[in-house]
Amino acid sequence: MTVSTADAVGTRPVVVRSYVPGNPWALARRALVYVLLSIAAFLSVFPFFWMMIGATNASADIIKGKAWFGGALVANATTFFTQVDAPRIFFNSGFIAVVATALTLIISSLAGYGFEMFRSKVRERIFAFLLLLLSIPFAAMMVPLFVMFSQAKLVNTFAAVILPTVASIFIIFYFRQATKAFPSELRDAAKIDGLKEWQIFLFVYLPVMRSTYAAATIIVFMGNWNNYLWPLIVLQTAENKTITLILSALTSAYTPDYGMILFGTVLATLPTLVIFFLLQRRFVEGMLGAVK
Amino acid sequence: MIRNTSRSRSILAMALAGISLLTVTAASAGDISVWVWDKAFNGDTMREAGAIYTAAHPDVTVTVDDSASQDDIRAKLQTQLLAGSTDGLPDIVLIQDDIAQKYLQSFPGAFEPLSDSIDMAAFAPYKVAAATYDGKSYSVPFDSGVTGLFYRSDYLEEAGFTAADLENITWDRLVEIGTTVKEKTGHLLLDLDLNDTGLIRMMMQSAGEWYFNEDGSLHITDNAALKKAIETYAKFYQADLVKPVSGWAEYTGAFTSGEVAAVPVGVWITATIKANADQSGLWAIAPIPRLDMEGSVNASNQGGSSWFVLSSSDNKEETIDFLKTVWAENVDFYQDILIKRGAVGSLLAAREGEAFKASDEFFGGAPVWQNFSTWLGQIPSVDYGTFTAEVDAAVQAQLPGIIQGGDLDAALQAINDQATQQMQ
Amino acid sequence: MAQARLDRREQITGWAFIAPALILLGLFMIYPIVWSLWMSFQVGKGMNLSFGGFANIVRLTKDPVFIRALGNTFTFFIFQVPIMIGLALLFAVALNDSTLRFRGLFRTAIFLPCVTSLIAYSTVFKSMFATDGIINQALMALHVIASPISWFGDPFWAKVAIIIAITWRWTGYNMIFYLAALQNIDRSIYEAARIDGVPAWARFRYLTIPMLKPVILFTTVISTIGTLQLFDEVANFTAGTGGPSDSTVTLSLYIYNLTFKFMPSFGYSATVSWVIVVLVGILTFLQFLIARDRRIKS
Repeated sequence: MTVSTADAVGTRPVVVRSYVPGNPWALARRALVYVLLSIAAFLSVFPFFWMMIGATNASADIIKGKAWFGGALVANATTFFTQVDAPRIFFNSGFIAVVATALTLIISSLAGYGFEMFRSKVRERIFAFLLLLLSIPFAAMMVPLFVMFSQAKLVNTFAAVILPTVASIFIIFYFRQATKAFPSELRDAAKIDGLKEWQIFLFVYLPVMRSTYAAATIIVFMGNWNNYLWPLIVLQTAENKTITLILSALTSAYTPDYGMILFGTVLATLPTLVIFFLLQRRFVEGMLGAVK
Repeated sequence: MIRNTSRSRSILAMALAGISLLTVTAASAGDISVWVWDKAFNGDTMREAGAIYTAAHPDVTVTVDDSASQDDIRAKLQTQLLAGSTDGLPDIVLIQDDIAQKYLQSFPGAFEPLSDSIDMAAFAPYKVAAATYDGKSYSVPFDSGVTGLFYRSDYLEEAGFTAADLENITWDRLVEIGTTVKEKTGHLLLDLDLNDTGLIRMMMQSAGEWYFNEDGSLHITDNAALKKAIETYAKFYQADLVKPVSGWAEYTGAFTSGEVAAVPVGVWITATIKANADQSGLWAIAPIPRLDMEGSVNASNQGGSSWFVLSSSDNKEETIDFLKTVWAENVDFYQDILIKRGAVGSLLAAREGEAFKASDEFFGGAPVWQNFSTWLGQIPSVDYGTFTAEVDAAVQAQLPGIIQGGDLDAALQAINDQATQQMQ
Repeated sequence: MAQARLDRREQITGWAFIAPALILLGLFMIYPIVWSLWMSFQVGKGMNLSFGGFANIVRLTKDPVFIRALGNTFTFFIFQVPIMIGLALLFAVALNDSTLRFRGLFRTAIFLPCVTSLIAYSTVFKSMFATDGIINQALMALHVIASPISWFGDPFWAKVAIIIAITWRWTGYNMIFYLAALQNIDRSIYEAARIDGVPAWARFRYLTIPMLKPVILFTTVISTIGTLQLFDEVANFTAGTGGPSDSTVTLSLYIYNLTFKFMPSFGYSATVSWVIVVLVGILTFLQFLIARDRRIKS
């Protein structure tokens, strides 16, 4: 435990010296921090761990409260893959989440950029109005939405699942906040160089803001992968359903096979986890911009 | 002619599906689609029925979709009917009996009357009554929710009780038996979930009562059976015989793990209990106890569902013919699903079949199906009305107070007030 | 960003950037919302609706379930949001110390809960909160309780369980916002304060909190909206009943039940939705007001 100096960590001056050797108070406080964080980390990871234990146990053992790894992993996996058309269902979930995430990032970041860079009274009012709309529960809009998609003959299509999510007010808000941190000199310089606005967006803004995009990717992907209510209503046939819907149905069977279900939930959690691990370093940086 | 259009339509649908993943997969006319909510029970049962029909009519297939839970199916159906859209709705949907009237009355014209083409007298009358509206019956009854008292014969024996001690008893007597069992064996009598009114409804129906009068108005404050039921319900708690549980997993866990001694429940639980093969011979089934009041019998119902045909179906003729030939006439089929799936159908003639007469070693070699059939015939018919879900919610709101010995009349009044609000 | 008046071309460019989003929002949000606003003046069941003026608003005031749902939603809001925001701040400040070991590990661990799928999360939590579940076993082993708590069989503990579950799920999410903002603060200010002998708690109170205020406001607004729309946990943990005894029923769950579980009374459920909108509007306004007040004092 060394006392860091600016040189030790590079360019950023680090001055938080919460622990100086020999100071018992600081020592105690440092110990407290570790204890607190360890408890929090343990509690956060525990349900994950529990889920993985469950995936290796037979249903009857899970109900009896068995709390350690068992030998039923292969059996659970076999049941899962025979009962669920996994390639198809995961493809559906993946296709919907990837396409929806890509479209959301494009459309919502364009709007965030537009609201921040080109301020006008009318657009400010529109923005304030949109923020208020953020609070409307989705259940209140579902029936009219369904009427629309049914008239457009789009019921039971991926398009119907994706379209209502791509203009996300939350993500527009997020990009607008992030854009506030975008250095205006860059844009001015680009303008002097004769770049058009769309070129500035594409060749200057986008690369600079890539960590913001990374953060938004995790949030949006997570939301779409786990989306439940609207896909439930608008997807009709088994072969079009997503893993979230299928798992939910499995849990409400008369005699649910909990081992198999927990195996499924472990699988269903993996894609979001992988994306988080890949992007998490950028994620912290990305949020930086948004909340400045 | 019909076949031609159907074929061209299915080719078109296949072509569209092939072109793009974003395309509607329309059900073709030679295909009967069905929504059910449990793969192993009603799903496989329907698949079997479909296989029988397809064997006789090779041009018709039955596609069973069990990829949604019952709550999900209700939400989907209600959204679509509200939106006035029939896109992607199946030909047949399974609906639980106690909410059938809600759909029939809220969405007139959405379901196809079946009593003109299928003889409803062939089914248990209380099932037919649940789906009869304006003089027409709209369902082909599927499984019965006839109730029984499933209990651990080994625990009861240890406490000094025989099967005869559980025949034709009242719930109050069961409280006494439960107290002895707890003293002698340490096992609680049963497990209950305060978010579920199943036991109260079962008790009330055994006296031929429900939440509503004939004209649909609320029948709460003057409902002696309901009052007796909640009073009896509270007795189990006050005698400290209840393991409190929440949710299906915990509920089934308590009796399949051998923790509690008994479970009063609909016959459809049989498969869940029998899933634990190591408990074979340790279980028995007694008739459900009755309320300690005049008019209450040792038979009741919990759950149970029926097949409904949607009017939007583009192949009603085949759909109705399918339900008629397999579900309303084929006695052998009912034997088969009883043996394989533990599904007790509601076709009266099926009771005379071999499977129904067989005994079951799991339940100590008793002729359990015969018994259930007998009780099935004794279930009092009630009118489930259109607001059962609302009143259930109102009853649930009072349960924690009731089990702590709260005033019953005040609770009934509160149920009445809340339900009145919800029904406007 | 003080800007000169936009010229005509810039105006057009501005609209062009937001046009795709506005068109989509107009189609998939504004239209359904206007429709639901119109519905809130309709009374009746199913498809049988008629204009009822303010009848639905009158009905709200007499509806015991609505009043309970409103009360519960507020209870969740008042207890859960401060606990979660406080914990998230605490973790963020602790993790911001660059001399701390295993920072990445702690950060990932605490963030994990919010990437869990809802199904996994509710399945696991239900089994953990069962009467014989691991939580009761742990509490009994630690001699905190003598007999198992029936978490979802008791109106009080059911609320506690819900609050624990939401806090578990979203604390890490909020923490990330603070962590990011903390890294943005000029550390020389801390150093100066430390050298001047300002104690840690005072540095936290008078340096960290004021500098994080915009983020705290942002997360509070987002959490307020999230809590007032609380649905997932209560629906999944109580089989959609909001029980026991309506002790966990929320406005969103009530809307869902009015629309899908009960005889569909769409006009009334739309009215309840608008109650949420009005509440969020008022609360957000108050939160902005409080944030502004503090600035004047400090």
